[in-house]
Amino acid sequence: MVKFPQIQRGKIYVMLAVISWLALLLVNLIRVFGEINQMEGLIGKEITWILEILFFIWLYIFFNDAIKKNQNRNFIFFIWRAASTGLMATGTSFLIIFFYYLLGDSRLSEDPLLKNFFYHVNFAVVSIFLISTTLSWKHLILYQKSKAIVQQWQAYEVILLISMFFVLISQASFNYGFMFGLIFLIIYGAILSINLKWIPYLTFREKWKSILFLVIIIACTVYLFFRLVSYTQQNIHFINLSENLFLLGLFVFVLLYAVFSSLVTLFNLPTSSVFEQKLTEAISFQKLSQSIKPGEDEEQVLDILMDSCMSAAYVDAAWLELYPSEPEQSSKIQLQKFISNGERQEVMTLLKRSAPFASYFNGQTTDRTEYLYGHIPHEIYKSVLVLPVSANKKKLGDIFLLKEVKDGFNKEMINIISTFAGQTSISIENHRLLNEAIRNERYREELEIAQRVQRSLLPSELHHNDCFEIDGFSAAADEVGGDYYETYRFDKNNFALIIGDVSGKGTSAAFNMSQMKGVFHSLVQLNLPPKDFLSKANNALSRCLEKNNFITTTYYTISTLTKEINFARAGHCPTLYYSREKDISRFLNIKGMGLGIVRNDGYENYLEEGYLKYQPGDVMVMYTDGIVEAKNKDNQEFGYDKLRLLLDGLKDFQAMEIKSKIVEEVYDFVGRETLPDDDYSILVIKFKA
Amino acid sequence: MLTINKTGEEGYLIISLEGEVDASNSVELDEVIQEVINEDIKNILVNAHELQYISSAGLGVFMSYLEDFKEKNIQFIIYGLNEKVMNVFHILGLDQLMNIKDTREAAEKSLHEA
Repeated sequence: MVKFPQIQRGKIYVMLAVISWLALLLVNLIRVFGEINQMEGLIGKEITWILEILFFIWLYIFFNDAIKKNQNRNFIFFIWRAASTGLMATGTSFLIIFFYYLLGDSRLSEDPLLKNFFYHVNFAVVSIFLISTTLSWKHLILYQKSKAIVQQWQAYEVILLISMFFVLISQASFNYGFMFGLIFLIIYGAILSINLKWIPYLTFREKWKSILFLVIIIACTVYLFFRLVSYTQQNIHFINLSENLFLLGLFVFVLLYAVFSSLVTLFNLPTSSVFEQKLTEAISFQKLSQSIKPGEDEEQVLDILMDSCMSAAYVDAAWLELYPSEPEQSSKIQLQKFISNGERQEVMTLLKRSAPFASYFNGQTTDRTEYLYGHIPHEIYKSVLVLPVSANKKKLGDIFLLKEVKDGFNKEMINIISTFAGQTSISIENHRLLNEAIRNERYREELEIAQRVQRSLLPSELHHNDCFEIDGFSAAADEVGGDYYETYRFDKNNFALIIGDVSGKGTSAAFNMSQMKGVFHSLVQLNLPPKDFLSKANNALSRCLEKNNFITTTYYTISTLTKEINFARAGHCPTLYYSREKDISRFLNIKGMGLGIVRNDGYENYLEEGYLKYQPGDVMVMYTDGIVEAKNKDNQEFGYDKLRLLLDGLKDFQAMEIKSKIVEEVYDFVGRETLPDDDYSILVIKFKA
Repeated sequence: MLTINKTGEEGYLIISLEGEVDASNSVELDEVIQEVINEDIKNILVNAHELQYISSAGLGVFMSYLEDFKEKNIQFIIYGLNEKVMNVFHILGLDQLMNIKDTREAAEKSLHEA
């Protein structure tokens, strides 16, 4: 299979058309030459017909192709194309007449061969005009095509093709068969010509233009037709090329469609503006419905709304008053169009006095007003439409539309304007929701980072030696929490331990907790007695905690060599201690004061230092207030007693098990469904030696 | 839920707290105390009979005004704390810094002594 490159196709068609035309010319010239010299029957007429048909077909294919390439041009382009081709054909015809005029009475002017040549030129340009115009019409007819129209057109093409060959069947001119075929083509062409859906889409200007072009086309068609007829009548020698059903059919079709189009366009002129208006409304509506893209602001949408409203109702002046977002600010006047500040204030004063606006502006009506419409006794502006714009059930502002005529807004205008306003609300709401979603997403990401950082603040491993077991647990109510515990090893027998709780919860608590961690790590290295440690910690934290923030903590030092525990309590929940010797749990209640409460040197006076000697089997439970203050669905607290009794029952378990069972008990108490409303932390030590 | 009421008495003002003070509503308590201080009232009693619970954020509010009370010579007395809430004050050590009485009479008496 040979495949021609796409670009070459048009050129090939042109070439073929030119070749068939040249062949046609040659054949006919030879025939005329023969006829003049009485050499009849040199070349059969059939050859002429067939060459003519070939010429038509190549032209048809070429223009069909050419139109397809310009499918997306506007309608005026096609009409202009037809008109210009018509002008070109007419011009050629005039040139020929002018040429003969120049020749005057010379012998050459009577030369049949030359005449025959020009006859062919004329025939060619007419064919080009008719075929290209027909194909332009095809494009217009098939605008907004349905299957039925496409089928009609295809049938028409088939009929045209058959009509080309008609001349071969019946060579006698204008017999019944020819007339019947011609009438059939006329009727069919007329039926096709009622497809004029493109006309309403022309703007007012375009309509005038198209009428002008169509008139040109009609004039050219009529002129060319008579020109061709006169040629035929003058020159009996020639073989009649124009007496072809196809050509005559096209003449009729081109003329009919041009006449129909021009008349319909003419009658469409008065309603043109209405159609244009509807089209603008549709476009405005579409613009408003497209939600605002992130980064753009609401003002742009409001601007579109104003423009849409103004063009929908032929408004003379308008402005937009935006309500303040903060109550103490005053209203903002925006997008003031075609009205001066002075006039606006005049109108506003009148509005506050006249019904139905007065009650609205004096805040007497409900917020559900959809629109207010009435007239005012202003010297320029007679009718007013006020339209509230709202989003998220909150009123954003009012649109004021003014017209110079009385009763200037009809129901349709108000309807479309209300719809615009509604659509604007939706757009703005969507925009806000989207922004909020983006913001929340960012917060969530930041919280995740905070969570990760904080989790790293709690120790992954607790220092200990063979003399005791230690295990801890911590859970935050929010993404991040304010509970804190940590251990430190001085040497193989000496350890420090801290548990703390920062007031409040969430992010601010988490920040303070990290400060506490810093303080712990810097002070612990000094190996201070617990009371001094807390005193110094208070000193440090007093300088960085906010006024109403404090931290509660208990600091322990443990020596496994002497089996001694020293501790001081800075307002933290008292340590629960199970003594193997007494076989009972109790709270180590010593005097204490939260860090950051007393921010001066007197702090030390509120502290007490505890001391005890442990024995193997003793259990120490350190926890935060989230545990004892955990509430069940009846609003009862877990409480200190429950915790103490719980430990009495768990004393024989290992540290890890004691911790797990306490945590489990607390969660059971609260109920699995309810979310914890405080941070829970617990640290359990069991002494073994 | 927290309900705060102010009642002016002769020579002092009573702030009555009802319900629970937690992180979400401690701001309200803060506002009321700030307001009372701004009104230049020197004797303030807090009726905590109906106070069911106070969180660390609530305690933070009281704590943050301790300096102000001292500077401006304001008598700030809490009375009627139930055992549980009292324990919260005690654990934190605030009972060492604040004037806490059992009853209104005791609080009034404390006012007169000062």
